Amino acid sequence: MGHYVVRRLLQAIPLMIIVSIVLFALVNLAPGGPLAGRGQSKRMRPEQIAILKRQFGLDQPLYKRYIFWLVGNDWTKIDTDGDGIKESYGQGKGILRGDFGMSYRTRKPVMDSIKNSFKNTAYLMSVTLVVVAIIAIPVGVISAVKQYSIFDIIVTSLSFIGQAIPEFWLGLILILVFYVWLKNPLTGDSLLPPGGMYTQGAAFSIIDWTKHLILPVTMGVVGWVTWYSRFLRSSMLDVIHQDYVRTARAKGLSLNKVYYKHALRNALLPLVTIFALDLPYIFSGSLYVEILFSWPGMGRLYYQAAIDRDYPMLMAILTIGTLAVVFANLLADIAYAKLDPRIHYD
Amino acid sequence: MYKKSMWFTILTILVLVGLLSSGCAKETVAPTIEESVTVPSETESAEIVPTEETAPTEETEKSQIVVVIAEDPPSFNATVNASGFDALVMELVMLGLADLDEEGNAYPELAEELPTVENGGVIIDEENGTMDVTWKLRQDIQWSDGVPVTAEDVVFTYDAVVDPEYGFWINGIDYVDGVEKIDDYTAVVHYNAIYPGYLTQFGGYLMAVWPAHYCDAEQGFTQWDCGFQPLSNGPYLLKEWVQNDHLTFERNPNYYEAGKPAIDEIVVKIIPDEAVRKQMLINGDADLDMWTPENVIVELKDYSDVVEVSLSPVDRWVMRIFFNLAAKGTTDPEATPHPIVSDVRVRRAIRMAIDSATISEEFFRGYADLVWTEFFRPPYNVCDIPQPVYDPEAAAALLEEAGWTDQDGDGVRECHGCTTGAEEGYPMEMEFITYSEYGEALDLTQEFIAEKLGEIGFKLSISRVEGTVLWDTSENGGIEQSGNFDIDIWDDGYSGNDPTDFLWGYYYSEAAIPDYGYNYGRYINPQVDELIDQSYTLDDELRKDIFCQMAKILDEDLPELLLFTTVDANAHSTRLQGVRSNANEIVTWNVADWTLK
Repeated sequence: MGHYVVRRLLQAIPLMIIVSIVLFALVNLAPGGPLAGRGQSKRMRPEQIAILKRQFGLDQPLYKRYIFWLVGNDWTKIDTDGDGIKESYGQGKGILRGDFGMSYRTRKPVMDSIKNSFKNTAYLMSVTLVVVAIIAIPVGVISAVKQYSIFDIIVTSLSFIGQAIPEFWLGLILILVFYVWLKNPLTGDSLLPPGGMYTQGAAFSIIDWTKHLILPVTMGVVGWVTWYSRFLRSSMLDVIHQDYVRTARAKGLSLNKVYYKHALRNALLPLVTIFALDLPYIFSGSLYVEILFSWPGMGRLYYQAAIDRDYPMLMAILTIGTLAVVFANLLADIAYAKLDPRIHYD
Repeated sequence: MYKKSMWFTILTILVLVGLLSSGCAKETVAPTIEESVTVPSETESAEIVPTEETAPTEETEKSQIVVVIAEDPPSFNATVNASGFDALVMELVMLGLADLDEEGNAYPELAEELPTVENGGVIIDEENGTMDVTWKLRQDIQWSDGVPVTAEDVVFTYDAVVDPEYGFWINGIDYVDGVEKIDDYTAVVHYNAIYPGYLTQFGGYLMAVWPAHYCDAEQGFTQWDCGFQPLSNGPYLLKEWVQNDHLTFERNPNYYEAGKPAIDEIVVKIIPDEAVRKQMLINGDADLDMWTPENVIVELKDYSDVVEVSLSPVDRWVMRIFFNLAAKGTTDPEATPHPIVSDVRVRRAIRMAIDSATISEEFFRGYADLVWTEFFRPPYNVCDIPQPVYDPEAAAALLEEAGWTDQDGDGVRECHGCTTGAEEGYPMEMEFITYSEYGEALDLTQEFIAEKLGEIGFKLSISRVEGTVLWDTSENGGIEQSGNFDIDIWDDGYSGNDPTDFLWGYYYSEAAIPDYGYNYGRYINPQVDELIDQSYTLDDELRKDIFCQMAKILDEDLPELLLFTTVDANAHSTRLQGVRSNANEIVTWNVADWTLK
């Protein structure tokens, strides 16, 4: 297994190089750019354009910009004042030295914004994934075990509805019901807040933080739970009709032991793989949830960077996201090997 | 095997707990910079003198309002990004030399009085075409650390702006040769031209005066830390900034206007979704929504007991159709004139076929005011330009006269004797572009116009692109700068009360060079060039006369088709008083005057 992991990590290096080149080209060559007007200044003066080009490093050819992004430009002189003379060394160290550059929007290190946003997204998505697991697993199992029962029919119907509901619409309905319509009978305030992570100005309170989590987590959970529970139901149905399960029952084991100790463990294998592949969402977040519930996370950060054509921010998020996917895939493979003794990696 | 599984399970649980608890770390101080953010105040820098202990008194409840905005401000330096959200927070903490009220009248902030020719504050050298503007600063304004605001700060700000490495470009800066400190409270700005916009050179909603003793000049104007941890001389102090979540401001006890501001605390919350912002206003969880669109204004009418809408008396943004007078994909209107719209009769026909009144009523809910000249804002709204009429029959007749007839009966006119140089039989087909970010009202307007023009024989294919694609540089393939369009529609207008630079950018022939200005239509008229050159004067009566001559020419030539203004409105709770929307500014321009009922 150790060799396998090392081999996979080494394979990731050329993969990341190729992906970084493709991403860099796509981001920089996509229509529009950071030199276009926006907001209150739909038009940019040529003087502003010239200054920004220099300050953003966009006066360099594309291949040089990629190299500077990779290894930095503190080893070479650049023209910082527009006089055509390269008199000063650059200040970038490049991503290989952990410097993802300065945001075009804030002019501050990209990692400052990412660190702030990542912890908020990790918090939200972790809770969402845990809730998904807590609901989807028992629902999927019971649905399979009691196939075609009333419970199974209700759950199946709700799953179809859940998958069909547009996520954004669901979020708006949640706000309408729990923020606009329903009131706290004791205080008269809205039952749940419309967004944010906590009540600004209030002392830290688990209840307050939990109240702010309920609606965004619900919005995220609905789509995922329906998908996971259906998947697990299908996997479980496959397993419980296997010969070894029939044998276990014939041996007189209780149904609970048969289903939950023997069958479930095997039925969970593909779900674990999918779960591991969804782990990168802990980094990337969910844009709709973050916009609707004013959650200061990675989804909104990425969206803002895309609107602004904030290339350093975009590249940082995409690169880290790609790394997250690579590691998630590796984790899925390792988890699979751990859970299924039949799997060996050389 | 069992042990390995157990450890693997434990490790997984620990990772999940770690991720869960990572979100629980609450920011309690303004963060983005590693160092602590407590901005120094006058009391903190004073020597601590032991006092007798006094019995604790009851804390009076602080008055607080909540302002909801769609985006986190990039920084407090509104000059750099001009997103509007940066200007909103900048107005809370920083002052400029002068500012503009909602009628477009300038008033002094840091300055004792506005420098004019009459009071000797402006000295013009007619022979050389230069001028010197002397700013006398008030002597009772301090930064929040107790250091007085002086001419040193004005000079420092200028030097930072013109720094070749980390400076930026602001309106009129090319006309400034230098800023000289005469004494602690007097600074002179030396201009190499007569610049009518001098009053808001270091003021207005995009520019403030920065503290020389606090901002690090080496970091540079565009990226200094004081743009995130500002030192205040305005009505409020920044207390806390949790990025992408909220900013908290508390009243500046040393603000120079006695008794102001009345409100103790302002929380600016970042709420990206418009429907949520609206609902927070209705529920009383927000007191001010910035840039309220027309459809929300209409919905809020049902809640007039809790919400009011402040409309600016004058609007800035004018929805306008840009005609590319050069052929699509080219930028020389003389070498390659546009096969359809290079004929002014076609442009006039388009104007007559557009029912702006219906657009205003139906899509902009009655909040769009019809305009037909650039000079509709005071003090230059004195030109007598007749309002265009909606007359599709006359429009059709004009097209016939111009040599565009539909001979094959397909509903689309073709060139039969047209004078644009188009081939015989060339169809009247064009691409009609707009930008997607505005929203439904503009989308419907575009479709409506295409339909109306379709009724008189045009065939318009509708495109919507991102603003950044429409307005990008020609080098990057920007649609307008590279001339890659037939006609498009979007909104623009000049900031402040001086249209001179704006007119230069849109109508001067030099501005037609790609990336040199915004004369996207490639309109070339030496007469207009001359009038624009002449408008760089401080003689307001002369300027009015010049602008009226220009208004007439533009009305005849119709290089752009001005349709209507879009609303400048900010909805606020009824308990919040004093909000005055201002098209020249951001809504917090007069925050020091706000009170709570």
